[in-house]
Amino acid sequence: MLFLTRLAFKNLARHRNRTVITSIIIAFAVLSYILYDSLIGGMIEMSYATIIDYETGHLQVMTREYWEKETEEKELPLEHLFTLDEELEREIQEVEGFLAAAPELNFQARLGNGVDELPVIGKGIDPEAFGRVFALEDRFVEGSMFAPGENRAVLGKRLADLMDLAVGDYITLLVKDKDGSYNTIDAEIAGLVHTSNPNVNQNIVYLPLDIVEQGLNTPGEVSKVIIRLENKDLASKLAGELGGQLQGSAGNLAVYPWDEMEAVTFIGAAEIEKQLIFAIILLIGAIAVINTVILAALERMGEIGMMKALGLQNKEVVYAFVLESTGIGMIGGILGVLMGVGGVWPMVKYGVDFAGLVSMDLASFGLPILGRLYGVWNPAGFAWVFLFVVIVSSLSSILPAYWAANKDPVKTIYHR
Amino acid sequence: MALLEMRGLTKIYDQGKIEVPALRGIDLTVEKGEFTTIFGPSGSGKTTLLNLIGCLDRPTAGTIIFDGQELGGLDKKDLAIIRRHHVGFVFQSYNLIPVLTAYENVEFAIRLVNKYEKKEIRDRVMRILAAVGLAGLENRKPNELSGGQKQRVAIARALVKEPKLVLADEPSANLDSKTSEEVLQVMAKMNRELGTTFIFSTHDPLVMEYARRLIEIRDGQVAKDQRRE
Ligand SMILES: Nc1ncnc2c1ncn2[C@@H]1O[C@H](COP(=O)(O)OP(=O)(O)OP(=O)(O)O)[C@@H](O)[C@H]1O
Ligand SMILES: [Mg+2]
Repeated sequence: MLFLTRLAFKNLARHRNRTVITSIIIAFAVLSYILYDSLIGGMIEMSYATIIDYETGHLQVMTREYWEKETEEKELPLEHLFTLDEELEREIQEVEGFLAAAPELNFQARLGNGVDELPVIGKGIDPEAFGRVFALEDRFVEGSMFAPGENRAVLGKRLADLMDLAVGDYITLLVKDKDGSYNTIDAEIAGLVHTSNPNVNQNIVYLPLDIVEQGLNTPGEVSKVIIRLENKDLASKLAGELGGQLQGSAGNLAVYPWDEMEAVTFIGAAEIEKQLIFAIILLIGAIAVINTVILAALERMGEIGMMKALGLQNKEVVYAFVLESTGIGMIGGILGVLMGVGGVWPMVKYGVDFAGLVSMDLASFGLPILGRLYGVWNPAGFAWVFLFVVIVSSLSSILPAYWAANKDPVKTIYHR
Repeated sequence: MALLEMRGLTKIYDQGKIEVPALRGIDLTVEKGEFTTIFGPSGSGKTTLLNLIGCLDRPTAGTIIFDGQELGGLDKKDLAIIRRHHVGFVFQSYNLIPVLTAYENVEFAIRLVNKYEKKEIRDRVMRILAAVGLAGLENRKPNELSGGQKQRVAIARALVKEPKLVLADEPSANLDSKTSEEVLQVMAKMNRELGTTFIFSTHDPLVMEYARRLIEIRDGQVAKDQRRE
């Protein structure tokens, strides 16, 4: 077997052109996967950031009933609110890696400009705390944030355009208060924002928390407290910890990490595309290898016949060919991974100007890209695709190798 | 004791529409240690017979008993094992492995037998290469050797594992008479000392001179079979 292994590598070295060409084809397949994987990874990171920075934060504290109504019935109920007292605030601040927390009072409303009406989500916020949890500050295209107690509002530029509104205009929000009676909240537009999050751009109206409390008749109550952490990857673990702690002090409250929020689930689609790319690589690699093995076998028919005359079993002939192809797969894989490192590096460092490339507002298509898209490093992906091409190369050589090994040695030796 | 017993050996090549009868009923017994030559006109079936004897091909009809074993009942794998351990082939076209050196081509055959130590393998390969007159050329690749030198590598490869049976199809076809003589002497010595059985096919009078048994084949049948002492 050792001798056959050596023979396989000698054949690789001897038929250098063929080895190199096949390896390069495989390397390019690997490269395209790695680049794609890096961009998709970057896009997913960006999607997460878009959701976390503008919508969900890292952790959300709310009552269990509220969570159920919100996730299952798509309602923002006013009967399952809670009070943010000092003790709760202190407990929240003691969470490991805590950066900031902000209360939110959410409600359904109809936004009117005097002519038309649109259903929107209203959010009563404390502007200062909100600014520490969310990244809206840098996204104002006109005007600025309101101060507490002001009858002023902030909304998405897109929503404003839709309703023909500008900074300084007055809006009316038609709401149903806690007792079920209709009420209105009037406000002047303080600022307009544009983000990579389409929900923020066209569905949400921000107002001062105290103004909303008055309008909804829910004094001192909030829907959620949103927490920002140092590290998004610890959210699930910390949600469990804080949740357990609140169980004792505030039994009806629970803590949910960002990745359990509904907004996050659509991202799985990218994974399916990844499988598709995997399949394409498989096909390219397999075709290149099968082609190479058939050529090699045709060229070496006499040799194969002779080896069989010397007493080599079919499976040993197959072994030699499979090993040769594995070698090609490895060379191609290593080459592809090296090219991948060279390709991903600038994407991570400088990013790709996607928006500029297609010169469109991608946010309105639900693509969370504002400005440059940055690639990410995914070493596990490198390892997988390498392993993958090596295995595909080995497996796809088996059939043609059997075909060659099964040829009648008499015919191949005498070229008859 | 007989190494080979052939009864009613028939080989018909199926060429689609036409059938080519290459052998038609050969009965032969070859004793252990015989030094035999098969001769006859081109197309008479010499190569076909050697391939059947060497377990490389199967007869259309008839039986071969190789060293007490009926070959008809064996599968491809068993036949490969017999070839590996007990048969050495020398083909008309040398069929050396081009990426291996002369040394490695010979080494390949003995490695497959799997019964010698590393050092023993080296000694045997060097000795047989020297015996066929290739000392100093061990590290040449086949494309750096002349036709006659390649033929000698092929002969060394057949002899190195000291098989029970050596089959040589026109072994002297590419050799000058001096080299032919040398190579034949190496084989005759092996035949004397180890009792190796040799079967040649040839047109070469020199090879026939060395043989102690001459079998003439015509149209796939034994026309003459004579021993001499
Ligand atoms: N694979 C094959 N397919 C069809 N016919 C074959 C095949 N091999 C040999 N034959 C035919 O069988 C007959 C015997 O061929 P064989 O090669 O055994 O003759 P030979 O005695 O070795 O001839 P030479 O002296 O020319 O080498 C010939 O008629 C040949 O054409
Ligand atoms: Mg012949």
